[in-house]
Amino acid sequence: MEFVIISALNGVTYGLLLFMVSAGLTLIFGMMGVLNFAHASFYMLGAYIAYAVSSYFGFWTGLIVAPVIVGIVGMLVERYLLPRVHAHGHAHELLLTFGLAMIIEELIKLFFGDFPVNYQMPDNLRFAAFTVFGTDYPFYRLFIGATAITMFALLWFLLARTRIGIVVRAAERLPAMAEALGHNIPVVFMGVFGVGAALAGLAGAVAGAFYPTNPNMGLELGVIVFVVVVVGGLGSLKGSLLASLLIGLFSSYSVGLDWSLAGLFGLVGLGDWAQSIGGLMTLELSSVSATIPFALMLIVLLVRPAGLMGERN
Amino acid sequence: MKKFAALAAVSTIALGAHAVQAEPLKIGIIESLSGAQTSSGRLYATAVQYGVDKINAAGGFNGEDVQVIEYDNAGGSTGAADKFKQAVADGVNIVIQGASSAIAGQITEDVRKHNLRNPGKEILFINVGAEAMELTGDKCQFYHFRFTTTAPMRVNAMTSAMKEAGDLGTRVYSINQNYSWGQDVQAAINAAAEKGGYEVVDEVLHDVNKIQDFAPFVARIKAANPDSVITGNWSNDLLLLMKATGDAGLDVTFGTAYLDQPGNIANAGETALGHYIANNYDNTAGDASFAEEYKAASGHYPLFVEPQTIFAVGALSQALEGVDFAGGDIDVSKIALALEDVTYETPVGPIAVRKEDHQTIRPVVVSRVVENARYPADDTSMGFEAVKVVPGEQAIYPVQDSCDMKRPG
Repeated sequence: MEFVIISALNGVTYGLLLFMVSAGLTLIFGMMGVLNFAHASFYMLGAYIAYAVSSYFGFWTGLIVAPVIVGIVGMLVERYLLPRVHAHGHAHELLLTFGLAMIIEELIKLFFGDFPVNYQMPDNLRFAAFTVFGTDYPFYRLFIGATAITMFALLWFLLARTRIGIVVRAAERLPAMAEALGHNIPVVFMGVFGVGAALAGLAGAVAGAFYPTNPNMGLELGVIVFVVVVVGGLGSLKGSLLASLLIGLFSSYSVGLDWSLAGLFGLVGLGDWAQSIGGLMTLELSSVSATIPFALMLIVLLVRPAGLMGERN
Repeated sequence: MKKFAALAAVSTIALGAHAVQAEPLKIGIIESLSGAQTSSGRLYATAVQYGVDKINAAGGFNGEDVQVIEYDNAGGSTGAADKFKQAVADGVNIVIQGASSAIAGQITEDVRKHNLRNPGKEILFINVGAEAMELTGDKCQFYHFRFTTTAPMRVNAMTSAMKEAGDLGTRVYSINQNYSWGQDVQAAINAAAEKGGYEVVDEVLHDVNKIQDFAPFVARIKAANPDSVITGNWSNDLLLLMKATGDAGLDVTFGTAYLDQPGNIANAGETALGHYIANNYDNTAGDASFAEEYKAASGHYPLFVEPQTIFAVGALSQALEGVDFAGGDIDVSKIALALEDVTYETPVGPIAVRKEDHQTIRPVVVSRVVENARYPADDTSMGFEAVKVVPGEQAIYPVQDSCDMKRPG
């Protein structure tokens, strides 16, 4: 029971963090069709800006300033870099953002050094929210989760229930028609890209204080965020949320389970034989927990190539 | 006529002098100077440069300054293999590398093959940080020298020091990264159980630096109810593990191998207090003049992997004093033979090479994180304080059976 509850709690909060980072990525892809490889770099940029700002003006200022600056950086990228390669198709956009990711990483190293920086949450947030089975549950994890849920609610409301949402969706579906009706499509796209980047920046600012802020954080989370978006269905916000939670829970539960193929064979009396083979047979589930999201992606792609909530195109 | 003869003589001498112009010793650093492991790679490179500067200040070698060439392996063994070829083309005599056992495995194989194919133009590989047992086991070879500890040396020293301090307890948890180094540490923890008087309550291997959330692992550690956790984890895997443990309010003592990686202490905060590390050196152990001298040259006290690298270059420098090529061709085999006989005095004790497998016999320092430290880490008030220096003879383990070294000649 203890294992089930604690793993569920850990899995959900981690899943919500994943969602927070992947929301911007899926938004940008869904609305603009740009696969932004530099998205995780925006996440890292957010953490570093929040660190730099918070050391002078306090944690909360950092939390507000970081997404704004990262959003502006995103808009500049959309305005001045992407149009140049847009005519050449997706591959060029991907390569451009890939290069951008490398440049951002090296710039960060140049300014902040190779080592993790000391970006910490404020002391008044550092307490245990509650205690389950003798384990303190840090409040900050709940804070990360709450931020993610708020973000999802706001985004959904904005896109589905407001006039801005209608324009954005129209711009995505029929750009020429929307333009003919007097909407400035380039500005709409720039705005969407900016918001997407800002969301990543906010995620970085919030998560960077809990996980270490180092020059590799973009790289480390970047791959998993892509997995989330692919599993959830490219461009589907709800799909991203579902995939994030799934991956969070799967990773969390797998750690506590020492299941192996040998154990499976043991059920039918072949355990000793499987043990003697070793290798893949005795590989425990817990030792490959970080690989599980990728296995999940493989299965989803085989069964449902468009992702869990993605539209078939 | 006489004048002409003199002129001829002078020019002959000049020409002759030109012909025997000394050949410089070239050291190639093949390190991770970009990508995820830059933080470690850069420190190795800086430390090598510091050591070589000292050799050059004392007159260099073979009548010339020793040259250092940096090669960026971009953090992978493929990059290392490419850069090794380039180093060969540049005429490098000695290769130095430290970050990552996988890369060291690649380099030592490349060096072995190169030396087989190019007798008389051998290359020496000085390994300053890759700790996988197989480098002095299955893959051991004459031209590879390891100037750092290995898993059993660290674990044995750590468990004995923690036991003496009463912080080890009887229930030990083993959590490690699932690759050669982590598996070595896990094996060493199990092997030391009897002598350390503890029971390994649970052991887990996990993916290397892929896990963002260690809370599930902490839940598992808590379920096993250990007194202490011993781990060979480094970088994010250590930091996240310690932070998650601190956040969960779990009361265990950590025994680590890489807690001194820059940024760790500041990021872990007070969670780090009271935890242990076993490594090659600590500023609080032994003579302080080494640390001060290094600070004067580089602006900071030696940290993380720098000391062991400086000691390795120091030992090399001592070996070079014993060989003389009179400005002619450099015979790396002679340097290697001289390096085998070197006993290098470090502030914490002597380092000597074991001829059978070229592992160095060296002291292991166990230290603990304390408040108000003499040498504060990461601009905090915390830092390391040595609790025990285990001399080389006690720390060393028997030569692995798998080592079959072919000596030159």
